[in-house]
Amino acid sequence: MIEVKGFSFTYPTGSRPALHDIGFEVGPHELCAVVGGSGAGKSTLAGVVSGTVPHLTGGCAEGLVQVNGRDLADTPLSGLVGQVGLVMQNPFNQISGARFSVREEIAFGLENMGVPRDEMAARVDTVLHDLGLTKVRDRSPYELSGGQQQLLAIGSVLVMRPTVMVLDEPTSQLDAAGSALVFEALGTLREQGVTTLLIEHRMERLARAADHVLVLDGGTIVAKGSPGEVLADERLEEWGVAPLRYTVAARRAAARGLWPDARPLPVTLDAAAEGFGATVAHLDRGDR
Amino acid sequence: MADFSRSTPSWLDERWRIGWGTGVVLVTYAGLIAVRPASEHGVGGPIALLALVGYTLGALLIVSGAVARLPATTVALLPVAITVNIVMGKIVYFSGLPLQLDSIGTVLVGVVAGPAAGAATGALASVIVGMTITPGALPYAVTAAMIGFTAGMLARAGLFRRLPTAVLAGGLIGVVAGVISAPITAFVFGNASGSVGQSALIATFQAFGNGMLKAATLQGLVADPLDKALTVVLAMAILKGLPPGFLYRFPFVRDRHVLARRPDVVRAG
Amino acid sequence: MSTVQFSPHTTGNSLVHRLSPLTKLTFAVTVTVCAFAVVDYRWPLLLFCALLLPAAIGAKVLRRFLLMLATFWVPVAAVLFVVQGFFFPEAHDVIARFGPLELKSEGVSYALLTALHILVLMGGFFLLLLTTHAATLMSALSERNVSPSLIYIVSAALQIVPTLSRRATRILHAQQARGQVIHGLRGRARALVPLVGPLILGAFTDVGERAAAMETRGFGATRRPTSLITVPDSAVQRSARAAMMLCAVVAVTVNVWGVMR
Repeated sequence: MIEVKGFSFTYPTGSRPALHDIGFEVGPHELCAVVGGSGAGKSTLAGVVSGTVPHLTGGCAEGLVQVNGRDLADTPLSGLVGQVGLVMQNPFNQISGARFSVREEIAFGLENMGVPRDEMAARVDTVLHDLGLTKVRDRSPYELSGGQQQLLAIGSVLVMRPTVMVLDEPTSQLDAAGSALVFEALGTLREQGVTTLLIEHRMERLARAADHVLVLDGGTIVAKGSPGEVLADERLEEWGVAPLRYTVAARRAAARGLWPDARPLPVTLDAAAEGFGATVAHLDRGDR
Repeated sequence: MADFSRSTPSWLDERWRIGWGTGVVLVTYAGLIAVRPASEHGVGGPIALLALVGYTLGALLIVSGAVARLPATTVALLPVAITVNIVMGKIVYFSGLPLQLDSIGTVLVGVVAGPAAGAATGALASVIVGMTITPGALPYAVTAAMIGFTAGMLARAGLFRRLPTAVLAGGLIGVVAGVISAPITAFVFGNASGSVGQSALIATFQAFGNGMLKAATLQGLVADPLDKALTVVLAMAILKGLPPGFLYRFPFVRDRHVLARRPDVVRAG
Repeated sequence: MSTVQFSPHTTGNSLVHRLSPLTKLTFAVTVTVCAFAVVDYRWPLLLFCALLLPAAIGAKVLRRFLLMLATFWVPVAAVLFVVQGFFFPEAHDVIARFGPLELKSEGVSYALLTALHILVLMGGFFLLLLTTHAATLMSALSERNVSPSLIYIVSAALQIVPTLSRRATRILHAQQARGQVIHGLRGRARALVPLVGPLILGAFTDVGERAAAMETRGFGATRRPTSLITVPDSAVQRSARAAMMLCAVVAVTVNVWGVMR
């Protein structure tokens, strides 16, 4: 459970707030996606919800951030271990470097929490299997490809079974198969009741996976709602987010009266195919 | 093997270990001077063993005390600083410059995270070099620790706020490095551990009738202050290039005004 | 400059490889202490031939062992013989003359002794490095309650050094490949800055993120972390280590007493 109310934050060296008057809620079993252009404050928001901002960066914070009912302003980072998991944008920095094999790297968090060895081994092996890393389990984390490192970074957080997951562009270096694995794992987590905050630029995946979408621009939330509402908004491009091509195509078609009136603009490929299919069928009938 | 166990009596508490370690190093150094290394014992084994054991014990104490209380950001900083030491050392070696410049990271950590962190960086960098490049670096762990420690103390005294005093600090660090490393160079390595240039300089001093320790010390006092002054300049250049938010993560810089206020860190005060 | 590669040496499966890293570390320390303890060049030579060489042969790493000694010990020994052979303080017994230089017997015997001491020191540690994976050594140390911060710093440095080294080498090669002709020391130094600067600044800038990742993964959260892997140890090895340590302590005590007397 994530609850943010009237939250503003300025970095110690910043002249203007990185986040301004942010408010949103994400409940258990929910996946909330955050989109926005670069410099919009997405990574800062990920840091805020995971407790690293402002605890590690310093800076001036106002407003409320609660995770699982605890106010982060008075919770040290060590108090959140095992509750909040943070997957960073750059897997190279997420990998601790303290361990020499993939398997041990995944175990690092559990070792720090003092989990007994047998339980640890079982949990690590499950995660290795789920993310398709079993083949490389004895390799050095630094010998992996960028995509594999990203999976490893995610696995090293998943294994700690946090109730709140914060992911900052976790699939940026992954191919289609790799990101499918990640979204599958996220789906499983959601079923288990995990609260997820996901920063992601692959709109087509988001549209299917997210319950809500927030749009950040210049440190403020400029839109929030269901993926269908937000991703079809025509101001998306003004906010620095590239809209889906088939949404744009449908909007242009609608402007020329070629999109079924009752249908909302599509944000998934299936919805787009159905809509255009309906238009074509309608035109066919009209021709006849 | 040193006992690192955490259930230690209070006089071996983490805070005290740095002091004890420094004490052991100083006593060792004083002992080496006092027994007049030119005497019959001075040649060969026993005196070298004394230097080796005293310095290693001192280094172990300093490192175990220094590392225990470091915050996570500093812990994450140390491997990078050690890497910079090694990579810059290698680049300088390959580029044929007659310098070492293998303490840039150590000095930098001393300045941004304090004497204890600086000492740990230096000593552990020697361990890493010992493990990956040459075991010959291991006996010098204490020298490296003292470089970081001195950098931290001088930063605390405010010498790194302006470039001229920083260069002076570099010279002082060099004096400490030269003096502390001399017994290892002289007794453990028979004055043959460094580069060919260093050895030639030492041989010259010996040819002019200086004893082994004196020759090694003189060589250190000629070469190290220059090298460390340049090291400090480079470390300051790196500090200048780092984003302001980075330095703000270190309480040592933030609270003690170790560095000059930068125009881009106006709000940091 | 060739380097001792730490990690690839896990292939061997000899008795020496299987020993606890602590046993090998204690052995390296003890054999070094013992070598320095006696003022007679035959003693370190005996230690090297009777202990280190057989161990290297037994571990099937003799070739690499000798190669590493050739790379690191031979140059030191050579410089040692030149510096001390000709310039040993207060030496009078001239064996040979090369122009103005006089080779003196005191210097040669001192150089011989010191070179053999260094041979044992280097040999002991090479044996440890050639037969031990860094991961095993670190696990063994963490089982002995060595601070997790220390383990982290050493392990991370061991892994980041090659990564950054490779990037630096690539930059230097690219510079040469572009055919830049660089004159003089200042030119060389000036050419390096724009290339290496960003690499180093980038490495430092990453520190904040890495610290955040470590803390959210519970680094430092408990006083008693557990460990996924165990390092095999035995009662025999434990008593062997105790005996070696006793040996080292006695050697040091006798020596300190001898020097002080």
